Amino acid sequence: MYRSQKLALRYFAAAITLFGVMTAAGLLSALYYLEPTLLYNVFDFQMAKILHINTLVIWLLMGFIGAVYWFLPKELGREVEGIALAEVLFWVFCAAVAVVAAVFVFVQYGGSNQFSMWFINQGRKYVEAPRWAALGIVVVVLTFVYNVTMTAWRARRMTGILWVLILDLIPLTVLYLDAFPQITNMSQDLYWWWWLVHMWVEATWEVLIGCLMAWSLMELMGTSRRIVEAWLYIEVMLVLGTGILGLGHHYFWIGTPSYWLGIGGFFSALEPLPLLGMVVHAVYDAGTHRMQTSNRPAFYWVLAEAFGNFIGAGIWGFMMTLPQINLYSHGTQWTVSHGHFAFWGAYGCGVIAIVYLVLQQTRGATAFDSRAWKWSFALLNLGILGMVGGLLVSGITQAFYGVAQGGATLQAFVVASENHWFQSGMYARFAFGVLFALGYLALAYDLLSIGRRARVAAPAQVSAA
Amino acid sequence: MDIQDPHFWRAGAVSTTAVMLVVLTFLTIDSLAVTRAGSKRVPDYDVINRQIGYVYDWSRGFDVPVIGADEPLFDRLYTPAQASALVSRGKLVIQSRACMDCHTFFGNGAYYAPDLTKSWLDPAWSQIWMPMTGSTTRAEAMVEFLMHPDRYPTWSRRMPDLQLTRTEAEAAVAYLKWMCAVDTNGFPAHFGRSAIAE
Amino acid sequence: MHADLFATALLLGLFVAAGGAYGILFAAAMLRGSAALRRGASACYALQLLLAFTVCAASPLALPWKLFLAASAAAYGCIPPMIWRLLEAMHGHGGAGKHTRPS
Repeated sequence: MYRSQKLALRYFAAAITLFGVMTAAGLLSALYYLEPTLLYNVFDFQMAKILHINTLVIWLLMGFIGAVYWFLPKELGREVEGIALAEVLFWVFCAAVAVVAAVFVFVQYGGSNQFSMWFINQGRKYVEAPRWAALGIVVVVLTFVYNVTMTAWRARRMTGILWVLILDLIPLTVLYLDAFPQITNMSQDLYWWWWLVHMWVEATWEVLIGCLMAWSLMELMGTSRRIVEAWLYIEVMLVLGTGILGLGHHYFWIGTPSYWLGIGGFFSALEPLPLLGMVVHAVYDAGTHRMQTSNRPAFYWVLAEAFGNFIGAGIWGFMMTLPQINLYSHGTQWTVSHGHFAFWGAYGCGVIAIVYLVLQQTRGATAFDSRAWKWSFALLNLGILGMVGGLLVSGITQAFYGVAQGGATLQAFVVASENHWFQSGMYARFAFGVLFALGYLALAYDLLSIGRRARVAAPAQVSAA
Repeated sequence: MDIQDPHFWRAGAVSTTAVMLVVLTFLTIDSLAVTRAGSKRVPDYDVINRQIGYVYDWSRGFDVPVIGADEPLFDRLYTPAQASALVSRGKLVIQSRACMDCHTFFGNGAYYAPDLTKSWLDPAWSQIWMPMTGSTTRAEAMVEFLMHPDRYPTWSRRMPDLQLTRTEAEAAVAYLKWMCAVDTNGFPAHFGRSAIAE
Repeated sequence: MHADLFATALLLGLFVAAGGAYGILFAAAMLRGSAALRRGASACYALQLLLAFTVCAASPLALPWKLFLAASAAAYGCIPPMIWRLLEAMHGHGGAGKHTRPS
């Protein structure tokens, strides 16, 4: 095994651990809606939420980085350049995450000064981590980019997938620079903030997971490189063709010109179309292999990725993206419903699929199956479905009673939040969140145990029926 | 045109991405120009010295901010430099206390607590908190509440005490007053009024 | 009037869902050569068209968005067959069902 592949396994372990922290923080965040006096003035909602959304970003990033470290040496037939530095930085990364989390838990916030921005809490959603940690992330990501590009350079070889990946890593890295500024003007602050958030999760991350899925499909189904590369280019064309100006769906109400209502709404409404293409492709792949594979968990999680992305990002997003509707849904639990579903479908399922793919190879198991993966698959997906369903009910209630009927005042917010439909949605969200958490435990158990008792053999190629 | 050739699709990906990025660049340059403080859409920070309303504009089809007569904040009129410093401090308060992780600003943030876009205009300040805090102005009521939210419970969900000093609370209030003067294309819709009868 | 907007939102979600169902059933029908699945796919697309018509006729959305929705409905109809033909061409066979994988 290459050193970078051993590093990949460490990244996956860290990612799955943080997935658990994210789930626990999410459950706690959900509980405040049911028990509002919980830990009042000790550990309030905003800190639980900060832990929840920051671990979300980090666990997925670690999953992506680990996946690239796994596939890269196989792609180029050589060890990754600069791997020693990457190995050290992994531990630095983990330590930094732990320190930032500890400060969030025990210090929480500081005074209104630059010291707080540098060392405690920057208070901008998803990028609350203090600047010193943001610098650390930049160093880790730059090293990662160095690893990828120099390995390709030294190998004197580039593939289509690598070209797309490397070109994608440039904006992915540059966009993170928005984690640093402290801008007074909220309109401009949010303008740039959405460049980071949207262009990560609806552009560069989509391309990145596309590259990872391309490598995965070559291994999982033996699909030819020519086909996965062509499909990757199609995906890049459609996803960036709709997603770059689809950024405008975040610019309806932040003070930017009204032309964004038309541009953002139009391109955003086109975003489900590439996802429909991916669903057709997934059915094609599944059907032509007659659902047979030597790695059933990876296969099913790849299918979940295609379907979850379409439903969570496509259907849920389309419901609320047209400006006339968004005027009411904006800033409600409706958005939360969409966000949870889209993140899960687009990225969560994909990272889990890759981890299973890799584990089959590291454990040398020919038949890679278990009972636990089925339980975790069912519980996690049922859990997320229930959660987003509950949040949708709460969100629509809030949009109707709080905004449309109530006029978006504080009193209207209270009335909507006390509405029994809203409350029922929140209870359902918590209950299904518990199911999701049980699914996580099953997943963690399965990842530790699957394939360990199978006979050691070379990984079998998938054969067509 | 060989659709089986990856290079065909690569050309499509490159050209599509390039065109979209060029368009986005031009739109960004324009958007940043029209959202700088002091523009038509985003007022300068000394708007905190003025009365701010939110009135239906028939030509645009939604409510828009209306800047009125002088209305001193904390019994004083700020110079542009003082207003800028105060509002900038207010943003630092909002970030240092991670307000965005409970509240929303222009609808962005977290959804546990109310949206603050038009909080300055919220009737609750005059109806509930002025009497509760014994304040004679909305601004004073807001400052008192922000400094001691645990003394003035909202409802079952309560705002935690974030240890704001008086200076910080005043800065945050100034920020909220400035923010409600930004033209947000009608968000939040018909603030303080019901749409159901319309 | 604004209750109609919420109903419109749900109809739009169902619109995309119907499009997705059409795509899935279309692909399944092509894989299995099944007339029943083909009919199911057509029924889903018909439902999607009906939903689009309902929104265009009865929702408070502005006219440009209604026109956009109508155009979208046409696009949703074209995408699954187009993608299918593309996949078949890429994988190197012209008929439905069988699949061989060059390495």
